Amino acid sequence: MLTAHALRKTLPGTPPRLLFDGLELQVAGGECVAIVGESGAGKSTLLNCLAGLEPFDGGHVELGGQRIGGLDDDAMARLRREAYGFVFQAFHILPHLSLAQNVALPLWLLKVDERQADQRARAMLARVGLEGRADDAPHTLSGGEMQRVAIARALIHAPKLVLADEPTGNLDPARAGEVLDLLLGQIRAGAAAGVLVTHSRLAAKRADRVLELGPQGLADVTERV
Amino acid sequence: MSLVGATSRRLFLASLLRHRLATALSLLAIALGVALGLAVQLIHGAAIDEFGRGLRTLAGEADLQLVGPREGFDEAIYPMLAKRPEIAEASPVLRIEARLPGREDTLEILGVDMFRVARMQALLRPRADPALVDGDGRLAGLQPRNIFVSVDARARLELPSRLGNGEMAGPALRDGVLTVQSGVSGIELRLAGELPLSGAELAVMDIGGAQQMFGRIGVLSRIDLKLAPGLSPEAAGLALSPLLPPGLALQVPEAAAGEASALSRAYRVNLTMLAAIALLTGAFLVFSTQVLSVARRRREFALLRALGMERRQLLRGLLAEGAVLGLVGGVIGVALGHALAALAFRLVGGDLGAGFFRGSRPELQFDAMLAAGYLLLGGVAGVLGSWLPARAASQVAPARALRAGEAQYAGLPHMQGRLPLALLLAAGAGLACMLPPAGGIPLGGYAAVALSLMAAVLSLPALAQSLLPLLGRTRSVIWRLAHARLSATPGQAVVAAAGVVASVALASAMAIMVSSFRVSVDDWLAQVLPADLYVRASSSAASGYLDDDALARIAAVPGVASVDTTRLLNLRLSDEEPVFSLLARPVDGNWGLPLVAGSTGRPDGSKPGQSSLPPAWISEAAVDRLGLGVGDRLTLPLAGRQQSFVVAGVWRDYSRQYGAALIELADYRALTGDDRVNDAAIRLEEGTDAGAVADALNARFGPGRLIIALPGEIRATTLQIFDRTFLITYLMEAVTVMIGLFGIATTFAALAGTREGEFGMLRHLGFTRGEIGRLIAAEGALTAGFGVACGLLAGGAMAWILIEVVNRQSFHWSMDLAVPWAALVLFAAVLVSLAALVARLAGARAMRGSAVQAVKADW
Amino acid sequence: MVIRRAGQWSGIWRHFGADIARRSLCAFAAVIALLSCLPPEIHAQGSGSASAADGYPAVVPGRPLIFPDDFGAHPDYRTEWWYITGWLRDDAGAERGFQLTFFRVRTLIGEDNPSRFAPRQLILAHAAVADPANGRLLHAERSARAWPGLAGAATGRTDVEIDGWSLSMETGEGGETDGSSGDRYHSRIETEEFGFELRFDARRPPLPNGRQGFSQKAPDPLNASHYYSRPQLGVSGRLRLGSEILDVDGHAWLDHEWSSEILPQGARGWDWIGINLHDGGSLMLFQMRDGEGGAMWAAGTLADALGRARTFAPDEVRFEPVRHWTSARTGTRYPVEWRLHLADGRTLGLRPLMDDQELDSSASTGAVYWEGAVRLSEQAEDGSEREIGQGYLEMTGYAERLDM
Repeated sequence: MLTAHALRKTLPGTPPRLLFDGLELQVAGGECVAIVGESGAGKSTLLNCLAGLEPFDGGHVELGGQRIGGLDDDAMARLRREAYGFVFQAFHILPHLSLAQNVALPLWLLKVDERQADQRARAMLARVGLEGRADDAPHTLSGGEMQRVAIARALIHAPKLVLADEPTGNLDPARAGEVLDLLLGQIRAGAAAGVLVTHSRLAAKRADRVLELGPQGLADVTERV
Repeated sequence: MSLVGATSRRLFLASLLRHRLATALSLLAIALGVALGLAVQLIHGAAIDEFGRGLRTLAGEADLQLVGPREGFDEAIYPMLAKRPEIAEASPVLRIEARLPGREDTLEILGVDMFRVARMQALLRPRADPALVDGDGRLAGLQPRNIFVSVDARARLELPSRLGNGEMAGPALRDGVLTVQSGVSGIELRLAGELPLSGAELAVMDIGGAQQMFGRIGVLSRIDLKLAPGLSPEAAGLALSPLLPPGLALQVPEAAAGEASALSRAYRVNLTMLAAIALLTGAFLVFSTQVLSVARRRREFALLRALGMERRQLLRGLLAEGAVLGLVGGVIGVALGHALAALAFRLVGGDLGAGFFRGSRPELQFDAMLAAGYLLLGGVAGVLGSWLPARAASQVAPARALRAGEAQYAGLPHMQGRLPLALLLAAGAGLACMLPPAGGIPLGGYAAVALSLMAAVLSLPALAQSLLPLLGRTRSVIWRLAHARLSATPGQAVVAAAGVVASVALASAMAIMVSSFRVSVDDWLAQVLPADLYVRASSSAASGYLDDDALARIAAVPGVASVDTTRLLNLRLSDEEPVFSLLARPVDGNWGLPLVAGSTGRPDGSKPGQSSLPPAWISEAAVDRLGLGVGDRLTLPLAGRQQSFVVAGVWRDYSRQYGAALIELADYRALTGDDRVNDAAIRLEEGTDAGAVADALNARFGPGRLIIALPGEIRATTLQIFDRTFLITYLMEAVTVMIGLFGIATTFAALAGTREGEFGMLRHLGFTRGEIGRLIAAEGALTAGFGVACGLLAGGAMAWILIEVVNRQSFHWSMDLAVPWAALVLFAAVLVSLAALVARLAGARAMRGSAVQAVKADW
Repeated sequence: MVIRRAGQWSGIWRHFGADIARRSLCAFAAVIALLSCLPPEIHAQGSGSASAADGYPAVVPGRPLIFPDDFGAHPDYRTEWWYITGWLRDDAGAERGFQLTFFRVRTLIGEDNPSRFAPRQLILAHAAVADPANGRLLHAERSARAWPGLAGAATGRTDVEIDGWSLSMETGEGGETDGSSGDRYHSRIETEEFGFELRFDARRPPLPNGRQGFSQKAPDPLNASHYYSRPQLGVSGRLRLGSEILDVDGHAWLDHEWSSEILPQGARGWDWIGINLHDGGSLMLFQMRDGEGGAMWAAGTLADALGRARTFAPDEVRFEPVRHWTSARTGTRYPVEWRLHLADGRTLGLRPLMDDQELDSSASTGAVYWEGAVRLSEQAEDGSEREIGQGYLEMTGYAERLDM
């Protein structure tokens, strides 16, 4: 589903700092990969490169057979709304929308009929364990519930790739486990490829593969976790 | 203390610098409010000063002045006063506003007794020019045709002048001969010297010569009095007033300045009110800025409180922010105000285009007290704007605010429940409308305007909430998001649109009022000018006039069917009040009478000139001023006697705001023996060309002697003057609306900061940069739309108050409501579009910034 | 210097004051000294023209004075004045001089103007008090156009007023002002510095000067006036100096003169005296000085206690300056002491009550002249001097030269 080939990224500056070079990554549909590494290794940058939010210096990224390197800003945005799902550490639930509206947001962007979008959002909320709270306002939620909404939003439009950057960073360990299970479960259920950046062992352990990011690229460390 | 000071500087004032755009716009708003108010005050103050200086030139060391009708009074009072023991010196003055044939400007000529002037009005003392008076200079001041002209006046008279129609009229003073007009004939006066001490534009001649040359034998305009040593003007006035014939009054020379001030007071108060609303809008803006700034810094404050900062310190710090904002804005405003005033002097003159102080050329002067006052006003606006947010911030519980994930809009005011208060304020406005004016100023009306404005701002959330469901039916995700955002946070709408509400309310109220006024004036002109041609020898106060002979010559022109005439006088009904106008003319004839009550018939069915009580028709202003109604008895000082009339009707009069009465010309002549005429209205025979008749009249009387106008021209001129008068208000409205838009800009600039995360997330979700921009624009338009809607509603109410209360009480005239729908719709549309644009520009940072960094930001 | 100043009159009073001065033929009265500030070209032009042609009646010999009519104003003539000088003595015995003058001027302006303000007739007045305790003159002036009740000069009897200042004659004992003794004048002057309210009792009929009141002023008989004097007027009344009010009595001299003429050609100034003699007689002398200071004309009238008069011809009077006093104020040098040589062989001495009786109104009217109380004495054969009379001396044309 997702292929990164010979990916190279340097950070601008004098002298430019090489983050990684010759990076290879392949994630199949329904597979979840966790990327770990030291702070500053470029985990988030890699994620952004995969999302087309940050340019890279060499190599290419393909999603479902489509190269994303050559797309302009707007085309990339349109691709994101169809094929990508995001989960953020800080949730980023819009406070002025109801939970259902928050979840339906990607469908709105895809011009799905309003009623249908609402039904799908409610169904999605039920799947993340928030049945019956579709019309609640976000500020009534706890942090874990907030991230459940975010997961629902990330998957409602059946994206090809779900990118999650420290999705449990703001959650206590008990909640974190629940949320992570939910996220991975939903990614697998939707047959999407999942890439998860984390420095939490607990989180990494639940992924199908664990890769460590270094200057030489990704090394499979699944066994060591 | 110094610790607190340093803390304030670092924690609070530094915040102003961090948010430069919002700070700059708040500053600008306050500066504009202060500048407008100050400029109005400065311009008016300078004009009044200049007027007063002119008066001092004329009055010299006079302790008291005897004044009467503008047309003058019988000189018999002069020796009577001069001989009184209370009077040390009495200097009689005959004031002539001399028409200059062919020109539109006039020359103020004072006929004086040189012997008297020498002792009291040093500034009027002429100096004979030996080169001009060929040897015999000693009696130059007594020669009836000799005139002494001030340097300024001479400069003007020696130049050609441009007429209203663009043509040029030749110099009035040529080769030492000044040609002026008396009646319909020209008089040549000899320039004999100058007035070395007089700065005003005027001329002086012998009073005997003036009476003779201008046909004013036996008439004086004024007597300047110097009192016996030790006698106070009050005591002298008390002793002398009983001796005066009706229609004459004694006043201290300053009173004339006061009269002039009163003349323009209503106009000035109106402008000051506009400036006040501009300043209020500025305060709203500070409020918006501070609310958002406080909301943004909620956690910062919570942390400070947790670290041990006292509640009071926090409050003080935030108020200091507001005060600094206000004071700096005030400084800019004071400077700007002076600049504006200077500009206004250059462009429209000291009367702001209203025509109250014609001919005066005021100079701008710095008044430290005034400047300090306005500076302080800026500070007060800043503190007031910060008060609510500061209090809210200081009352936040630190623990709650420090909790992660607290909603980012928690600091916004919750104004949802203020509708009852708004209704209460509206009711208060209704009550205020019923208050009578205080000292001629419609304070109740202004209070009602202010209350309506507050009610409008407070009802904004309710309005938004009730209107939003009606707007929600659309598929556009952008629209849906904007809609959802406003539905959820109407408080933000208040913050952003309060300024818009205020400015739109003001602008639309003024627009409706001005439009009603203009339409009414237009209708009124059509009513009062039914004839085909109007002829006058000069404007009513100036030296030209028509007499029976001239009228006979007019009537003899082929094509003239009938000629009706008007005599206009200005009477003095009491010592303090401005003059009262009296028109003597046929009631049914070539002049219309726009009656609002009564009828044109004589109540008792008598014929004109009969001995029974003659009828009078009074203007609406006269009704207010004199407290009379149809059937009541009206007493007017005519020809030195009190004459009684019975009020037969009330008419609408837009040209004389201090009241006018109209009586039959025949009655007037029978009572006074005065057979002069100011204006003649001519009806032409069927099929006669008005232009041809005008040419024939000019040929008969000589070019430039008569002012001949078609009703259409008079209407055009009047409306032109009307528009010029309101030009300054349009400008002020524009400024206020601009300040209102600043409100949108500051709010959205500030929100763009707090919403970086949101926009970053949306970018991740697949929003293009353009779509983010459109989202912000939509929010801006929607916010402004509610502000505009609310403002228009309030504006309608305020327009009603302006028309029915403020104008009725300050100018004493009624008008018919005429709403300029098209203009208002256009205005609203433009404003909403502008708001969208402004919001988008202000929110540019949200579109520009890195989506990656934005989602990382925690708060 | 003077000429330039005169060309730039700024005070309106100066216009009229100067005018009076120039047009006053017989320049005995104080205000006439204003002459000195006239520009020469005007002066020359004026002096050359004849009077009757200007629209004024000419002064001709052979017109006898007729009373009471001639007590009143003669509004047809160009100028006219009533001029009273005298000595006052208060209860404490202090002596002071005083002077008051009322002028009437016909301007020939606005004669066809129906306005009551038309300046056909002007009234001007001047008053002064010489108080040795003060060391200088107190003086004040008034000017106005005639207006009934405010300013004017009545015909038929002496009655002039201007803004509260007045001089009027009261009917004599016989019920008629027929020029007999018993005529009584009243005068009232009020100014900020001083004021007086005086009664003047005439003890004898008017005394015509010249030939039956035709008084020639220069070699050309066109330069003449109608002129009578009333010497030896008994004075009583009250004098106010500042806020101090004094009961006073004394003696005074009244001149009444009217003419249509202007100053004689070539004249620079004049010296005049009017003295009440202690023996009940009176002496009036004047000389007209030319540009070099020499006498171009002189005349006089000497009357005894019974009113029998003798007139002096030009060659019967000679003025001889004895002592000069220079004004620190204006720098002008005046001959304040004189020796008078009369044709009857007598030589008389003239000494001022005080030296500084200069009238400096350069701040207002621009005129500077000397007009003050003087004592007349006669030198006995043994060389001792004896005071024989008191009166007034007026000297003009000393302050500035006309021929600059």
